[in-house]
Amino acid sequence: MRRIVVSAVAAILLVAVVALAAQQKFTLPGIPNPDVATYAPEIGKYGGTYVTSTISDPRTFNAIVSQDTVSSAVTDVMFDSLVGENYITGEIVPALAESWTVSPDGRTWVFTLRQGVQWSDGKPLTMADVLFSLKAIFTEGVDNSIRSVLTFDDKPVQYRALDNRRIQFRTERPIGLFLRFIGFNVMPAHKLADVLAKGGAEFSKTWGINVNPREMVGSGAFLLAQYVPGQRIVMLRNTNYYVVDTKGQRLPYLTRYVILIVPGLEQSRLKFLARETDAYAARAREFAELKAQERAGNFTIYDGPETFSSEFVVFNQNPAGISGPKLAWFQDVRFRRALNHAIDRATISQQIHAGRSTAAWGPVSVGNKLYHNPNLPQYAYNLDRAQQLLAEAGYRKGSDGTLRDAQGNIVEFVISTNAGNPDREAIGNILRQDWTKLGIRVTFAPESFPSLVGKLTGTYKWDAIVIGLTGGIEPGTGRNVWLTTGDLHMWRPNQSSPATDWEREVDNLFEQIAREANQEKRKALYFRWQQIIAEQVPIAYFAYPKTQPAVRNTIGNVKIGLQGVTGTLETRYYKGVLRP
Amino acid sequence: MLLHIARRLIQLIPLLFGVTLVSFVVIQLSPGDFLAEMRLNPVVDSATVEAMRRNFGLDQPMHVQYFKWLWNLLRLDFGYSFAYHVPVMWLIGSRLLNSVVLNIAALILAWVVAIPIGIHAATKQYSWSDNSLSMTAYLGISTPTFFSALLLLLLAFKTGWLPIGGMTSLDYDFLPWYGKILDVGRHLIIPASVLGFGAAAGLMRQMRGNLLEVLRQDYVRTARSKGLAERPVIYRHAVRNAINPLITIFGFELGGLLGGAVVIEIVTGWPGVGRLIFDAIVQKDLYVVMGSLLIGSVTLVVGNLVADILLAVADPRIRYD
Repeated sequence: MRRIVVSAVAAILLVAVVALAAQQKFTLPGIPNPDVATYAPEIGKYGGTYVTSTISDPRTFNAIVSQDTVSSAVTDVMFDSLVGENYITGEIVPALAESWTVSPDGRTWVFTLRQGVQWSDGKPLTMADVLFSLKAIFTEGVDNSIRSVLTFDDKPVQYRALDNRRIQFRTERPIGLFLRFIGFNVMPAHKLADVLAKGGAEFSKTWGINVNPREMVGSGAFLLAQYVPGQRIVMLRNTNYYVVDTKGQRLPYLTRYVILIVPGLEQSRLKFLARETDAYAARAREFAELKAQERAGNFTIYDGPETFSSEFVVFNQNPAGISGPKLAWFQDVRFRRALNHAIDRATISQQIHAGRSTAAWGPVSVGNKLYHNPNLPQYAYNLDRAQQLLAEAGYRKGSDGTLRDAQGNIVEFVISTNAGNPDREAIGNILRQDWTKLGIRVTFAPESFPSLVGKLTGTYKWDAIVIGLTGGIEPGTGRNVWLTTGDLHMWRPNQSSPATDWEREVDNLFEQIAREANQEKRKALYFRWQQIIAEQVPIAYFAYPKTQPAVRNTIGNVKIGLQGVTGTLETRYYKGVLRP
Repeated sequence: MLLHIARRLIQLIPLLFGVTLVSFVVIQLSPGDFLAEMRLNPVVDSATVEAMRRNFGLDQPMHVQYFKWLWNLLRLDFGYSFAYHVPVMWLIGSRLLNSVVLNIAALILAWVVAIPIGIHAATKQYSWSDNSLSMTAYLGISTPTFFSALLLLLLAFKTGWLPIGGMTSLDYDFLPWYGKILDVGRHLIIPASVLGFGAAAGLMRQMRGNLLEVLRQDYVRTARSKGLAERPVIYRHAVRNAINPLITIFGFELGGLLGGAVVIEIVTGWPGVGRLIFDAIVQKDLYVVMGSLLIGSVTLVVGNLVADILLAVADPRIRYD
């Protein structure tokens, strides 16, 4: 949700505006080269409050420790990073670093800090802060997931300051996606160095939800002003922010940004319709209903693109977890393909997403314009075809209607998912119905989330699981899932050497992807990988749901980006008449 | 009396020991742990998850974990929440007052409504008002609270008369003190009335039944036959005796002041401890669950103790020594 320099897909008119803006050189007091928000369609006006809602409480305001979406929604606004991501194109764009270079061997990256950026208390944001944040990330006892991201081949990335404004990162081998990994939030050394000196555990507890917001300083567009547990988060404009609009006016426009904490999506919807909030990420089945209320409610609901998150069923192929005929069925690609033909994606789409989703044949969402492979083999819903494929693989449906394998074993297994997720429970039931028609004895048994994950990553004693994963724009960041050595290589994790030829090829592809800095070349590698997964079906995907964001018409600078994001906070503004 | 109170408080210690030990073991034995969410994050490797497990002390044997917790408890340290990285006491404390406010409001509402109506229904047994009140009470008892709360929220949404859930408005901090009280009061109406009327329905039936029982007693007939007016007969003699079982119920309700409104809190977005505890149980945020269990057990025992003391005060026949 960050800045952009020049949009590659901009219309001619916009290009003209951008060119004009690029010629104009803006400055802010003390900041010779502020970032310019060229991606905002409109020039806004100052003042006003923007209210949204979320369905859970934040867990921390410490940006390095933060891992959940609500905490990150606050810390990402309050603390900036070296680089950001353009929310429309997914490109990496400058932020606290105004530029960067990479050495020809792809192993050394040098970032140059923007000059004159200040913390909200007026102290300069310097190289000391960047080095401090990296030190915190790698300190034992600091609970964070960034350390995993910045560790390559079991070795932490090497870094050192070249001078006051330049920092160099060095890795053992070229990391093509390095820019995707370097977006950690920079934290203020002058406030937190003493705490880190007391140890990692102490740092993890600092700036938690019990913090007094006045003790905190930030570098982002808004600063935390108040957190009322279970009720709301209030953020106020950072008057020291280093981004300007295309007229050179300092952003953000809004005075106040409020996140209401509500118990569930239902209350979230009611609050939006009652005009207590300004934005609502509607569920697919609410699209038609909200569309009809647009005028009365003075809002617009957008037909957004598909999310990157995937929902799928995975089949256990791990000898460490299951054995005997069951293992043989799941390891047989013909069996998996037959089951894939018996997944009724149209019904899933209708029942779960009210038709607002696109059938999924591979691991990359249609919404990912950069890397989605549109030419994957498709498994049309066809029970006869499925039965035929099973017969070719030696499975026989007896006179009693029960499917038996070539050795005469009755084919039976359990589908599981996490209880309490109504979408997954509905999908599980649809799968059970169709696979039962093939003669398989299918049991559907949802269980608690911790228990399910315990089986998936611990005991490996499961048959088939319906679950989902969130995705980024670069699937190469999901190495933990796709490499055979990964802990989340769900169907057969932590392999010492690849069990099958196609897994070996995927391993090789992911190693190449990790090294490849050229986006077009990465695309070719990603296409091949999607092809393999679609052919081998270790995981059968269901559908990529569309997004349907709704925003009040009084809010300006709304433009739909990837995954249905409606704009950036720093360029949001209130169009209505402000109360004095 | 003091001796009795002291004895009861001492009995609390083995009770709490038993409750915490059993719940600690049960929570730990159920499959999966707090780190499930992290394990399913594609960018987090198992080394990081294991490091966090060590930081949380989850890698140690169960009895070591339990006695560590108990030892810290003796120094009034309830431990840290895995999810929030803050002390459990701060986490619960930040919402405790909200739950207490809601439950007390509901309690007052329930008793203020139930007792007079119960007395009225008993004295006018089988009259049309008794029958219609009984009918209403049955409705109140049999309607699930989450359902009536949702209906009222929908009504608030359609009419715009009341806020849709929550406890304070956006501008709460800019209001004067009386404005703040009014604001919370407005937000209280839906959850407190759902809770209050739900409880009132049961209480009213209790009161009615008890009073009917007492009114059939000989001493009531004696009082009436010696020419005492109906009001003193009922209020001075009958109600006084009929209220004893209700005091016991009152004690139980005191015990539920903290966690008694979980469902309503979740449905109406009231920021009490209920939602917190519910999430902690689902996520297996161990020490938050333990801390809230402990507080719940203590309030339950103390509530019962208070009821016993009130009983002794209300009824001279009851003595504990």
